[in-house]
Amino acid sequence: MKQASSPLWPTLLGAAALLTLSGVLHAAPSELQWKNHNQSLVSEHIIPRYQHLADSSAALASSTAQLCQQPDQAHLDAAQQAFHHTMDDWQSVQHIQFGPIENLMRNFSMQFWPDKKNLIGKQLNILLEQQNPDTLETAALYKASIGVKGLPALERLLFTGQLDELDNNSYRCQLTHTIAAYIAENSAATVSEWQQEYSASVLQAGSEESYYDDHQEAAVSMMKSLVEPVEAIRDQKILRPLADAEKVRPRRSESWRSERSVRNIQLNIVSLQNLYSGNENSVDLLLRQQGAAAQADKISALFNELVTQMKNVSGPFTTSLYQPETVVQLQQISAALKQLDQELNAAMQTLDIQLGFNSRDGD
Amino acid sequence: MMETNRRRFCQLLGSALVLPSLLPVSALAGIDAATIKPLFASAAKDRSGDYHLYVMSELGEVIFDHLLPGRAHHTEAHPTQSLLACTARRPGRFIDIIDYQQQRLVKRILADDGRHFFGHSIFSEDGRWLITTENDISTAQGRVVVRSMADDYRVIADYPSHGIGPHELVQQPNSSVLVVANGGILTRPDRGREKLNLDSMQPSLVRLDLNTGERLEQQMLPTEQHQLSIRHIDTNRQGSTVIALQYQGDIGHNPPLVAVHQPHQPLQLLQAPEPINMAMKGYCGSARYDHSGRFAAISAPRGDLISFWDIQEQQFISSIKSRDGCGLTATANTAEFIISAGTGRCLKHNIQTGKTQRMPQTLKTAWDNHLATV
Repeated sequence: MKQASSPLWPTLLGAAALLTLSGVLHAAPSELQWKNHNQSLVSEHIIPRYQHLADSSAALASSTAQLCQQPDQAHLDAAQQAFHHTMDDWQSVQHIQFGPIENLMRNFSMQFWPDKKNLIGKQLNILLEQQNPDTLETAALYKASIGVKGLPALERLLFTGQLDELDNNSYRCQLTHTIAAYIAENSAATVSEWQQEYSASVLQAGSEESYYDDHQEAAVSMMKSLVEPVEAIRDQKILRPLADAEKVRPRRSESWRSERSVRNIQLNIVSLQNLYSGNENSVDLLLRQQGAAAQADKISALFNELVTQMKNVSGPFTTSLYQPETVVQLQQISAALKQLDQELNAAMQTLDIQLGFNSRDGD
Repeated sequence: MMETNRRRFCQLLGSALVLPSLLPVSALAGIDAATIKPLFASAAKDRSGDYHLYVMSELGEVIFDHLLPGRAHHTEAHPTQSLLACTARRPGRFIDIIDYQQQRLVKRILADDGRHFFGHSIFSEDGRWLITTENDISTAQGRVVVRSMADDYRVIADYPSHGIGPHELVQQPNSSVLVVANGGILTRPDRGREKLNLDSMQPSLVRLDLNTGERLEQQMLPTEQHQLSIRHIDTNRQGSTVIALQYQGDIGHNPPLVAVHQPHQPLQLLQAPEPINMAMKGYCGSARYDHSGRFAAISAPRGDLISFWDIQEQQFISSIKSRDGCGLTATANTAEFIISAGTGRCLKHNIQTGKTQRMPQTLKTAWDNHLATV
């Protein structure tokens, strides 16, 4: 093998150089460029966001503990406020669907949604009827149904029902606290696993220990986090509640009980915009370096437009969806998201990123 | 020495990117194709969007690179000759028969007028027939068609599959029994890959006699599970069939995605533990038994995972991550599989030792749905 192959190296390299010079190959970011990109995203985007989530969910856990000790309106308000902070932080990192958040199916446990069959309601009711004290340990929640251990279950407990149901350190209140503590535990584990293991796996792509063969492969996970949520936001968070023009369905919207459906989408879009162009080694810059400034401009403009459009949407959807102007606004936003989706997919071709083959177009 | 050399070779190929498909790699590497042992064959899509059938060695070298006229799906190895049948993905109309030792296309079979293939064809166990699943477009009924290899692949039998959208078919070892997965999904070539009957679909598993076309049995899923498309199957020496399902409903329902069939028994649905079943995202891509026929692997490319099952005990065993992993084939070792992925990576996993190895590779290509040991 050695003898036969060695005279061919100059030919190989020469051919590669020729192809590159003649532009037969698409210019694509180098491994070093991807490495820098991934490094910036991990340290400036991903880890800080998970850290925020860990902090706010820890505060939520202690706030629900206080609520159970003193179940008055002030403590309920405080717990609701803490829920909002946690949900803000979750919505700001919901788009990251790879890495430690996948361990133990944390992403599904954190927020099982949409819940078209009311799994959450059914499972929660079973717990509330049985009032089994064994279920009041976070350890028990690891084995519990996906429906009862996340933010939507907590939302139901905190935003529906009466204050007096939380009285006397009731099972309902303690369950609320247990779920909050479970969310806090998982959020803390997610950020620490990123810090201790996963960021090294990303940054040392290509090494034996890494889950990734090269930096470009690691970038694919990041790019999925940028591209795939766009369609999901449009389909699940906007078009499903809009249903058809004749009859809107506000209860299909995300977090309608806590009246924050609009805020969720606002945070999602701002977060994606930050992923796209929020740091010095961003995708936006990579596109410009590939000579695709026009493409980068279009994507930037669409993000800006979407951020502005979302600011003007009034909530909560439970009432605002019945106003024709909200419907028109959301239709415009849906169209802009569709355009953004197309532009981002085109950008992936420019960057020579294949988001998925069998997973996206299998048979 | 050899190891160092090979690694350097990979690095250089990496910098050359498209070269493997431009030049015969066997010549590049100074290897005589006939002397290296092939390991597997699979259809793939290259970086410039062309489709190939590759035959790969144990060391990840390209032994044969055949340019396909379009996207393919399944590749089947002949039981005794160095022939491969690579079938167009639905609703494609070609099957390329190649000889990887002679490095040539032996025959390009085209579907008859009014017909298309569903991505799968197999050689009969005795090596005489090529058997396909086909769509009779005017009636939308599935067909199982037998072609004679000795007679230039002339059609010698054309049986009903007893369902819509037949997909994978397998022959049960030491028998003349074919097992056919009728996916149940109605499509029409003029509507592309659009699914036209999701509300009324009725998938089934059918066992047919290869020699007569007689239907030996047909098993359906319970009514409430009728949206679980039966698409990919494998069978073992004991006559049991493992089934990888694709759910056409809302994945929040978290339906079972694996089933097992014993002759003349109803289908048994199997569910992985909730978090894993949910992570499979309602979609399995391939099913393969191991060499012993006791264990099976089921790929879930949308969930980036491969699940492993003890079929004898009807039990989930374990799962591993494989990003965009879909193609599966058994090695000669018990409980061991090769997994190919759309990312280009191939893994070898042994259920009993729990070890996963990355296979060496000289080529970055998107491996398509199925692979075959050769």
